[in-house]
Amino acid sequence: MSSNQWEIGPIFRALMRNKVGAILIAIQIAVTMTIVVNSIFIILERAQRIERDSGIDEINSFYLTTTGFGDGFDPKSTAFNDLELIRNTPGVLDAIQINAIPVSGGGWSMSFQTEPGEEKETQGAAIYMVDEHATEALDLEVIAGENFLPIDVRWRQPGLRDWPDNVLITKVLAESLFPDIPYQNVVGKTIYISQTEPMIVKGIVDKIQAPWVGWDDLEHTVLTPEITGFESNRYYIRAQAGQRDRIMPIIEEALASSNKQRIIRGMRTVQETRERSYRGDTAMIKILSTTMVILTIVTGLGIVGLASFSVNRRKKQIGTRRALGASQGSIVRYFMIENFLISTVGVILGAVLTVALNMLLVEMFSLNALDWYFVPAGMIVLWMVGQIAVFGPAKKAAKIPPALATRTV
Amino acid sequence: MLTMTDVKKVFRTDLVETHALRDFNLQVDEGEFVAVTGPSGSGKTTFLNIAGLLETFEGGTYQLDGQNVSHLNDKQRSQLRNEKIGFIFQSFNLIPDLNLFDNVDVPLRYRGFKSNQRKKRIEESLELVGLANRMKHLPSQLSGGQQQRVAIARALAGNPRFLLADEPTGNLDTKMALSVLELLKEINQQGTTIVMVTHDQHLASQAKRNIYVRDGQVSELTDTPDSSIVAINQTAIG
Amino acid sequence: MFTYYLRLALKSIKRNPILSALMITAIGLGIGASMTTVTVNYLMSANPIPHKSEQLFYVQLDSWSQFEPAREPNEPPDQITWTEATNLMQAKKAYRQSAMASTGGVIEPKGQDEKPFMASIRLAFADFFPMFDAPFLYGSGWPDSSDDNRDYVVVISKATNERVFGGENSVGRTIRIVGENFRVVGVLDDWLLVPRFYDVTTGAFDETEEVFMPFYMKQELELTNGGNTNCWKTPEGEGFTAFLQSECVNYQMWVELRNDNEKAQYMDFLNNYVNEQKTLGRFARPLNNRLSNVMQWMENQQVVADDAQIMMWVSFMFLLVCLLNTIGLLLAKFTGKAAEIGLRRAVGASKTDLFIQHLVETACIGVAGGILGLGLAYLGLEGIKSLYGEFVQNLVGLDLTMMVSAILLALISSILAGMYPTWRACNIAPASQLKSQ
Repeated sequence: MSSNQWEIGPIFRALMRNKVGAILIAIQIAVTMTIVVNSIFIILERAQRIERDSGIDEINSFYLTTTGFGDGFDPKSTAFNDLELIRNTPGVLDAIQINAIPVSGGGWSMSFQTEPGEEKETQGAAIYMVDEHATEALDLEVIAGENFLPIDVRWRQPGLRDWPDNVLITKVLAESLFPDIPYQNVVGKTIYISQTEPMIVKGIVDKIQAPWVGWDDLEHTVLTPEITGFESNRYYIRAQAGQRDRIMPIIEEALASSNKQRIIRGMRTVQETRERSYRGDTAMIKILSTTMVILTIVTGLGIVGLASFSVNRRKKQIGTRRALGASQGSIVRYFMIENFLISTVGVILGAVLTVALNMLLVEMFSLNALDWYFVPAGMIVLWMVGQIAVFGPAKKAAKIPPALATRTV
Repeated sequence: MLTMTDVKKVFRTDLVETHALRDFNLQVDEGEFVAVTGPSGSGKTTFLNIAGLLETFEGGTYQLDGQNVSHLNDKQRSQLRNEKIGFIFQSFNLIPDLNLFDNVDVPLRYRGFKSNQRKKRIEESLELVGLANRMKHLPSQLSGGQQQRVAIARALAGNPRFLLADEPTGNLDTKMALSVLELLKEINQQGTTIVMVTHDQHLASQAKRNIYVRDGQVSELTDTPDSSIVAINQTAIG
Repeated sequence: MFTYYLRLALKSIKRNPILSALMITAIGLGIGASMTTVTVNYLMSANPIPHKSEQLFYVQLDSWSQFEPAREPNEPPDQITWTEATNLMQAKKAYRQSAMASTGGVIEPKGQDEKPFMASIRLAFADFFPMFDAPFLYGSGWPDSSDDNRDYVVVISKATNERVFGGENSVGRTIRIVGENFRVVGVLDDWLLVPRFYDVTTGAFDETEEVFMPFYMKQELELTNGGNTNCWKTPEGEGFTAFLQSECVNYQMWVELRNDNEKAQYMDFLNNYVNEQKTLGRFARPLNNRLSNVMQWMENQQVVADDAQIMMWVSFMFLLVCLLNTIGLLLAKFTGKAAEIGLRRAVGASKTDLFIQHLVETACIGVAGGILGLGLAYLGLEGIKSLYGEFVQNLVGLDLTMMVSAILLALISSILAGMYPTWRACNIAPASQLKSQ
């Protein structure tokens, strides 16, 4: 086949005589591409966010809160009795009292620094108050140094302001605080909380996320060894594989009947909490995906509609072309190339709009900047959408009999 | 050049079968200028369509330039149309969105000529019809006679052996019709075989040979037709 | 004449059923998507207290660390300390004022069959109720004197009243909360605030609290901190009092100022107050006090979620594509009708006649698209409800305003979309289409 048969020049010149229809399609393609590419980019980013590993055994874990009331309520004995009761329940792998739940959205953070005093560089980190069972209950591995010993764990009264002497920190936090040395060497170092209060890093754990999924330093986490005596207590329970749903009501019932001076509330699986925390992202993904698909279909149908009309309007011309020697293939090719030219204008405009919208989103909603390859990928997709959409009408055009040329319409 | 033997063409709808051509026999030799006349519905357009490979037929044989075209597929027929046949239509069938140059270019593109070759041919053929200076004009900017000249240029550009004209002057006034006919005669004199379908007896009489089609069959008229036949034809058309 | 055009339009729509369906669907989808997102944004950004949103001001004082602002760029913290809350309340310089905080506690109903439950509590001053137009079912708010006297009085929500008192008029009765006996002075009626503007630091779309209690009960009963507590400096000393007197912010402050003059005076008062505190060695930052009215505060706190805004803009672009689609299809359709238009022109129809005829046709398509769009918006909102869960319940209702706007938007946009094709169609010369071609 010779390139002459592609007729790009004449097709283009003919298009220029019917600009409006072509421009309408080109703009549709451009806007569609803008939405599709930016949506896909947002969707992928959100999907990545959702897929981040919290570092804990989410599937088998759940938690609940108990709030004591009345004069006879003793937080200290309640906490110790509860923990003993829970840990001895068959089906429980391990359990801890904890002040906040990873990925739940609510928690406690403090600033840490490597030198004492005001105006020093600090790193924010989430604090989980736990005992030596935390590594088992939260499925953590101490990758350097040592885990807490029972003797490290202190009793924390309400209103107490100071902190335990030994802490465990995550590998990521160790590397943020001491960027120049390997994390193993952070063990034994002193870090400062509340600007001046020293603590010693007793060990490094592999990974545990902070409670706030929207936070940049999601893996900045400190574990402090203490059991708290607040009115409200939270217990985090890791069940043996497959036992979670069975033991949840058992534990709730056992706690409720062991001490009437409190209410048990907010019992929830970590899985459900995770779903709640990421619900906005999940929803955004679904909404954008739906929008994108419907939009592409609308644009595709628009191309089909306009191409069909254009075929109908040009029946005579197509018959004439056939009479003059155009094969069916040439007719199909004519419409495909015509659409390709329109799409090309569309996707070039689309590339500009895509980047512009992304810049706007970066500016207004502090989204991330688009990776460059999204743009050519989007162009190719929209080119293909156009080609697929026009193929039907083009086939129909090719079926127009050459004898139509001699018919007086 | 063109030999049709017992060619049959039937149009079928759910209710009726219409025999458009029955045992149609015709031979046209190289260099002839044949006018085909006949009343409306006689089958002369069907004949033209079959002769121009625009339609297929059911029975008989058709040899174009020595080649049997009965069993060619659509693609081969398209190629044959492009190479051997030039078409001239009643309503010119120029492509309204293309200028004269691009209109004449259409069949040459399908032929696959190189661009400089196409340019030369387009210019030559537009020169021949006297419109070389209006190459960038659009068909709508021309008179009917000029448009038909462009159509003739387009038909000739590919250098076909054989020109098929369907009521080439049907949409033109007498003066323009005559000039188009003169052009066709000139082309015929240069060796191109022409078959022209028309209902205009006066026009037909200008051709070297006249064929009269009625009920899908040929009746050859060697002499100039008498006025009674002309009268019949005209009532049939009216 | 109009009915004649209407008949022509319906005929024309029926003549190309697929094409018409495509156009109606396109407009419907565009309108549906837009109305869904606009509704969510509209409700998120709704003025919850329109008649006095200009008179209610949120107070911000820059008590933050001298080394860094509470929020870039140089924003004062979004809450105030206990010290400021109590000092400003003591000064009583505004027409009405209430510092407030959130907390929670266990309610123990009297009946043996009703279990104790956890309730959300708002700590506030007497002015809270008239200031925010809280609707009362029974009784009223507590008197000013109860604030300073630290009376054990509460106002409870309708739901709490149902749960504890079976819905009876409980004014004067006793309710046990956080282990203490309180006297009910008022029961609120249903109180839906979207957004719950008086405290957006926790969740702008949370419900109003179940119990309202005098502010100083915080100190009296050492109630826990609800919401967000932010500190730039560690409390000095141990215990609850040290924490209250620290630089930690956990309190909100609203004042009602009836005119610009009162506002200016109050601003002066705030500045004087801060300057006074500076002499005591507090407020190290330059003067940076703020009074934001309700809508300014909603804007400052970005109550309208980014995602909702992104979706709204995406849906507008979606609508644009749908309209371009419709323009293209109408153009094609009217071009196809060229012969008919030429004929009508030839038999004497004026351009205006044709223009109206075709505009009626596009309007019909627009109205049909609008009705479809309304249905889709309803589905869209149901979808959002199921995707986001219960905390958007109050954000996804279609009201009459939105319904009328949907139809109007569809009508206007389809007529706009129809303008150009109609104009083109009407400019077909009368005779040009009569010749065969």
